[in-house]
Order: sequence, then structure tokens, then C-alpha cells
Amino acid sequence: MPLKMTKLLPSFLIYSLVLISSYNHYNVNVVTAESTSSTSTTMHTNNWAVLVCTSRFWFNYRHMANTLSLYRTVKRLGIPDERIILMLADDMACNARNKYPGQVFNNENHRLNLYGDNVEVDYRGYEVTVENFMRVLTGRHENAVPRSKRLLSDEGSHILLYMTGHGGDEFLKFQDSEELQSHDLADAVKQMKEKRRFKELLIMVDTCQAATLFNQLQSPGVLAIGSSMKGENSYSHHLDSDVGVSVVDRFTYYTLAFFERLNMYDNASLISLFSSYNPNLLMSNAYYRTDLYKRKLDERGGVGRAGQDKD
Amino acid sequence: MAESKSIISFLTVCCFILPTLLFAAIEEEPHKEEFNEELLLKPLPDRKVLAHFHFDSKAFSSSSNGGYHLHLFPKAIYQLVHKFHIKEMELSFTQGRWNYERWGGFDPVSSSNAKPPGVELWAVFDAPPSQVDALWKNLTHTLSGLFCASINFLESSTTYSAPDWGFRASSGNLRYGSLPREAVCTENLTPWLKLLPCRDKAGLAELMDRPSIYRGFYHSQRLHLVSSGFGSDRVDSKIELEQTLTVVLQPTTLRWAKSYTPGSGMQPNWSISTVFGRKINKKCVLAKSSNLYLQLDRGLVSELKNKGTDSDSATAESSITNPLFELSSTPQKVIREVDNLKDEESSILYMFDIDKFADAKPFDLAFSWKLPVVWTCSKAPLLANRFLMGSGNERGAIVISLKSVGHRPSLVGTGASEDRCKLHINVFQVVPWYVKVYYHTLRIYIDGQVQSAANVTRKMRVSPSEDKVSSGVLELALTLPCSMKSAALSLDFDKGFLHIDEYPPDANQGFDIPSALISFPDFHSSLNFAEDSSVSPILSRLQKRSPALAYTEVLLVPLTTPDFSMPYNVITITCTVFALYFGSLLNVLRRRADEEERLLEERGKYIITCLLSGITNM
Repeated sequence: MPLKMTKLLPSFLIYSLVLISSYNHYNVNVVTAESTSSTSTTMHTNNWAVLVCTSRFWFNYRHMANTLSLYRTVKRLGIPDERIILMLADDMACNARNKYPGQVFNNENHRLNLYGDNVEVDYRGYEVTVENFMRVLTGRHENAVPRSKRLLSDEGSHILLYMTGHGGDEFLKFQDSEELQSHDLADAVKQMKEKRRFKELLIMVDTCQAATLFNQLQSPGVLAIGSSMKGENSYSHHLDSDVGVSVVDRFTYYTLAFFERLNMYDNASLISLFSSYNPNLLMSNAYYRTDLYKRKLDERGGVGRAGQDKD
Repeated sequence: MAESKSIISFLTVCCFILPTLLFAAIEEEPHKEEFNEELLLKPLPDRKVLAHFHFDSKAFSSSSNGGYHLHLFPKAIYQLVHKFHIKEMELSFTQGRWNYERWGGFDPVSSSNAKPPGVELWAVFDAPPSQVDALWKNLTHTLSGLFCASINFLESSTTYSAPDWGFRASSGNLRYGSLPREAVCTENLTPWLKLLPCRDKAGLAELMDRPSIYRGFYHSQRLHLVSSGFGSDRVDSKIELEQTLTVVLQPTTLRWAKSYTPGSGMQPNWSISTVFGRKINKKCVLAKSSNLYLQLDRGLVSELKNKGTDSDSATAESSITNPLFELSSTPQKVIREVDNLKDEESSILYMFDIDKFADAKPFDLAFSWKLPVVWTCSKAPLLANRFLMGSGNERGAIVISLKSVGHRPSLVGTGASEDRCKLHINVFQVVPWYVKVYYHTLRIYIDGQVQSAANVTRKMRVSPSEDKVSSGVLELALTLPCSMKSAALSLDFDKGFLHIDEYPPDANQGFDIPSALISFPDFHSSLNFAEDSSVSPILSRLQKRSPALAYTEVLLVPLTTPDFSMPYNVITITCTVFALYFGSLLNVLRRRADEEERLLEERGKYIITCLLSGITNM
């Protein structure tokens, strides 16, 4: 008799599991249906930025300079520090090899110190891992994690996700030891969508073969820009012989050149950003994935302004 | 009309009377909050300048005012103290290592502001022992958010420890942790400055030009917090926040570089503007006092006396025109150390009130030398160093070496006149679990001779490390003879293995063993002044009796690091071997040789079949 019970029990368990999971599945479906219907109607509430430099070591100075340049631009265009999650995988400003302590430059003219007096780094050094990156996106933190380290966006948020580092076909290296795959990114974005953590998401990636990182994305409201196509490299812009390393990447350099011309009240459209990329100057073909993004790219004003919302 | 008149009169009441009432309400509690800013400058013997910023905020709260209406005291710190029941806490961010030999190891600044590299955090909680660990974990997370640092790595039980008496006297509610490799940069300084009522917009903090501060040889940013009366239901409570920034800078001016000839022994002339690149514009108006002090070391004062014609010229008001150096402004007050029983000179402090000196134009204090001078700073009785012994990736030894500086007998606190003079020291060392220390191998050498541990050890507490759970802690109280020249402690260890995903991304660089702390409980570094110390927090801090401390170097232990591409290689090779084996096995089993031959004969093309068979056999 007990023998039969033990045989019966698993089958019952499996049955109940199937029931539960199908129930869950049903729930999720409802949520997605609601969220997709709601995205078009929800008001745009706020703008967030997640800026990630995934490279460690001094010779990757340019990746940190890329990220800090974007950080500065985003702040200049009106996103406050508490809505920016900045992840820097290494310390370059106070690195012993830095001839200019406490300063980071993205141009050899040294006119602009990116590491000014008011930089808030939320994740730095060993904290920049794939796990923490996924946690930030999906909002699954330990209870003790402070607010400044969380992405507290809502269903009306427009988020800019900028990543730079060394990448390859459908992956991005973190700290030279881990990899973020295109599937991981797509899953995280999908989860964000279902948790109603964004209305529109602009992913900007400056790595080699950046376009491949977007292959698995399937959530609506996502717009992706990559610095290079599959099989292409993304190159650095120029070398600063005083600092001793390359200080900025080409794609970021020309993106910044576009944004430097803007101020907070400009009505630039996304299409004008895309058309500003010149493949000859970039030495790669910038890639835009627009099939998930419902609105027109040349829309000016409203909630689709590139100057304010996307960056 | 009458209505409108009454409205106007009401408005005037609102405009004039209400604000005065409000002011009266504020003035009713004059001691509720207090903020002081001070800066201590000190020339160092090796051509450098020590700048020690001291910001002090106090908040007194009583049940009557609810305690939450803070004007000056940072709210974030107030909430931190409340939420985590903190009795005392200290957090320091340090870059570089304090040079105990040249910059002194036996003065109040070095004993409280010479800190180990990276981040050091300790806290005493006013909570039952069962809750302390949980509070500590939450505290580390909060601090990491507040100061933009990875302090949250201290939440893991492998990184922090609970010292009993070796670090400081505690009642079991003390937690200590340090991160030797944590980077320290402007993002840590900015939130620290935001705790000040004037931030870095006015007052002494305005001097903190980031590039010049981070160019320094030593940089330590510290936050010390003491609270009382929060845990209990007492009516009044008090929080005291002390923020200090200690920097050692090299004054460099082109003029000095030109005039400087090596070997002349001439010290560089410096001024506030050549050290920081900025001048003091005005005081922070919210500060109760805003002072600048210039300290002359005991050694320097005695040099001053030797060179000077008049032995007491240094003490006189006209001392700024002494034969040795010149100051650009006449100090408001000269404070001299008193009650110095030792047969050496007493140090001198020159005081400048920022309010008076930076009144009309920005204040810049210039210090220029007239004669070459050589002096030394007062050192702790022993100089501590720590190093690794052994080679290979299996085992090694940690050695702490203590060298006597040839101290004067007057320095010895206890039993100086007795024949058997003793020197008490405490050693506190935390070792991560992957460095497996064998505590029974502790050997103590005095002047090269092995001593039995029982002879020299007064007290000893060891909590051995547990793999992946806790780090090993050694607390040791030693009694050494005063006459000894050198002593050494050695401990053997084995190197452990980490799990593959526990290795940091730059594992090849090695792993850090945090600094050990050597303290001298009988040697209290304090300066006594005739002045009323309650006026100035920095003076009261200098007068406070605190034992001399010395942090040793951080050790870098190379551990066996796996070749992270090895699994890939192994998989590739194994697969190849399997493919070859199964491929040939299948070939042998499935091939029907006679059938093939028959087929080939039927076709009758012999040469081609030879070729074909050759291909299929490959």
C-alpha cells in the first residue's frame, strides 16, 4: 500500500505542477495582453539611463571615457543623477597609470574633464557583473540594496541603455571574464516589458559586431542602435599620446558630436541621429533595429523627441 | 474699504511679525546643532606638506523638538544612526600609505588619520548581539549607496570579523571589515562633501581642488560618528559627526624648482595657493568657527631654538620674523603645547581666523624658509613592517617585523625607571580564509632569538578561519623588553583553492591580505594646550588621549589561478578522442569488405576503385 502511494504521489505532483504552470502561463498572457494594449495609451512619465562600461584594465580607458561622455551628455540634457545608473568596471580616473589624477578625457585637446566634481558611480569595479546588470534591468535585488543602485522605472518610462566594451557574435564581454549573450539581453528586456518597467527602450551598443547583440530581441517598444554589423569591428577614434591610450571610440565620438549640437529644448528626431552616422568616418556600418518600435522615427516633439527622451 | 484695510494690516502682520517669531523659535535652541570647519597645515621633513581638514557637526535632539528638524546636520547620517542603531562608526577611504618613518607615527594626526589603503569600516551597534550581523549587512549596503563604493562586499561573513579586544575595547557589538583594493576617487569625495552644510561651495572645503588632492602622496577621507542616547528612551540624545580629510602634498612652484639645488637641504616654500591651486575666499557662514592652524612639530621647534639667537623667540608674538622662516600673515594667536613632561620641545600652533583674514580679499597663507633645516617627526617606539616569505603556490609565511627606533626612555609609559622596562603592544590581524594560517606555528623572535610564546605573550585570541564562511582573526598582546632592537612574528600558511566562479576577473594579480594593526596601548599621543579646547574641535581632538597606532602594508598573495580556457581545451580534446574512437569502431563494424569488392569488380574500373577505397578509408 505505501509503495503504491509513493508511486502515485509523483504523478499527482506532476499533474498539479502542470496545472499551476498552466495557470501561471494564463496569468502571464493576460498581463502581456494588458501591457501591450496599455503601452500605446500610457503617458510618458520619466526618463532613465543605464550606462555600462564592461571593460576592465587600463588599456580599455576609452570604454570608460565613452560611458562617461554619454553620462555627461545625458545629464546635460536633463536626466538627473538619481535616474542614471552608471556602471564602470574599473577605476581609470584615480588609476596609478593616469597622468591626470581625478580626470578622464575623451579628446586629446583635454578641454573637457569628464570626471568632474559631481560623478555618481553606482556600480564599480568587481560589482560590474552580468548578474548585477541583469538585476538592475529586471529589478530583482536583495532587500538591502539602496535606491541609488536600482532602476526604479515604471510603465511610462523611456530608458536609454548604453553599453560599451569588447563584443563578438551575439555576446558582450564583462570584465574580461564573463559574457552577456544576446539571449540574456532579450530575456531581460522581455521580463522588463512584462513587469512594465518601460514604455520605450533605446539600446545603444558600441562594441565589435554590435548588431548581433540585438538578434534575439522581441519585445515591443525597443529600438536598438549598434556601432557595427556582423563581421565588422568598431574602431577607436584617436590616441592621446599624453594619456598613452586611445581615448574614445568612433561610434560614440560621432554620437556625441551629434548631441553636442543639441540642447535640452531641441526637437531633434531619431532619424537625424541615424543619418548623421557616416560609414566612412565610423569605419563600420551603424545598425538600427526598428521593427519592434512602432512609432515613426522622424517624429519630432511629443514624447518621441530624441534630444530629451532617448538620451 | 475697511475690509481691504484689515486685509492689508493682516498681511503686514504676516510679513513682519511671523518671521520674527520664527527667528525667535530658532534662537530658542542655540545648541541644537553646531558646525565647525578647520584646517591644520604642517610642513613635513621630506619637503611635503600635510593638510588635515576637520569638519565637525553636532546635533542635539530632545523629545520636545521631535529631533527631525535638522538644519545643519546631514539628514542621511541622522537616519543611518537611527535605522541601524549605531553607537560609533568609522569609515575611511584611503589611497597611498602613511609613511610612519618620515611623517611621524606618534602624534594625534597620525594615530587617528593614518589608515590602511582602500576602505576600512568598523561600527559598534547599540543592539542585542543576535541582531548585530543583520544590522551590519544592511549598513554596508546603505553606505555603498551613499558613498558610491563597493562597501557592500563587506556584507559577506568572509570579509568582516568581530574583534574582541585587539582592535579596540568592545562589548561584542563591534564589527570590522576592510577592502584593501577598493579604488578611491572623486565619486567618493563628492557625497562626503555633500554632508557639509556649505558643501564645497564656500569655506575651507572650497580648497579641495580634485586634481591637486588626488595628485598627493597620501589621501585619506574619514567619517567618524558617535551617538549617544538613541537606543534608550532618554530625553536628549546627541550625534557627533567628524569628517576629516588628510592629504600629504608636494608643493611645487616653478620658482622653487628653479632655485632648488639638490643637497642644499633647503625646504620648499609653499603657500595655500601653490599647494591646492586655490585660495580661501570666505568662511562657510553656517560654521560656528572657521579656523586655519599651522603646526610646527616638536623637532622643528627645537631646530628653531638652536638656530635662533633668542631661545624664546618662537613663543613671542613676533615669532613670524624668526631667523628660520617667514609667514605672510601675522597669526591671530600662538598656541603652545604645555604640560609636556618630556625633555623635548613642545610644538606650536599658529591660529588664523578665516572670518578676519579672508574678509576683504581671498586669504592665502605663504610659508617661506630662510635657512636650510633638517628635522624629524616623533615616531612610535617601533616601526612595523609586514612581508611574505616562501615561494611557490603551495605555502608561505607571513612575517611582521618590528624595529625599534631607538626611542628615548622618557617615551616609555610604564616603569621607565625600573630595570626591567617593558613595552606593551597589541597586534590585530585578519586573514581571508583562502590563506590558511596555522596559528600553532607562531614564532616570536627578539633580536634574532626565538622566544617561547609564553614569555612574551600576555594575551592571545585566535578565531581560525572556516572555509568560505569566515576569515581568521588573530589578536595578540605582547610584552617586549625595551632594550630590544628588533622583533619579528612569523606565521606559516597554506594557500587554498577557490571555486572557479569565486575568482575575481583579475585573479592573476594576486589576492590581498588586509593591513595588520599594531597598537601601543601605553603610548598616548596627545598634545596639551593651555587654551580652552572647547572652542575648537580640532584642538580638543589633538588633546584627546589616543593610543599610537601603526598599520602595516597590505600583502599581495599570488594564488593558484586556473587557466580559464582549460575547460574548453579539455572538452575539445576529449571530443576529438571520442570521435576518433567511435568513428573507427563504426568503420570496422559496419564495413562489408567482400560486398564492396564484388561491386567494384562489377564496374571493372580498378584504378578508380583503388582511389575510392583510399578516400573512404580516410
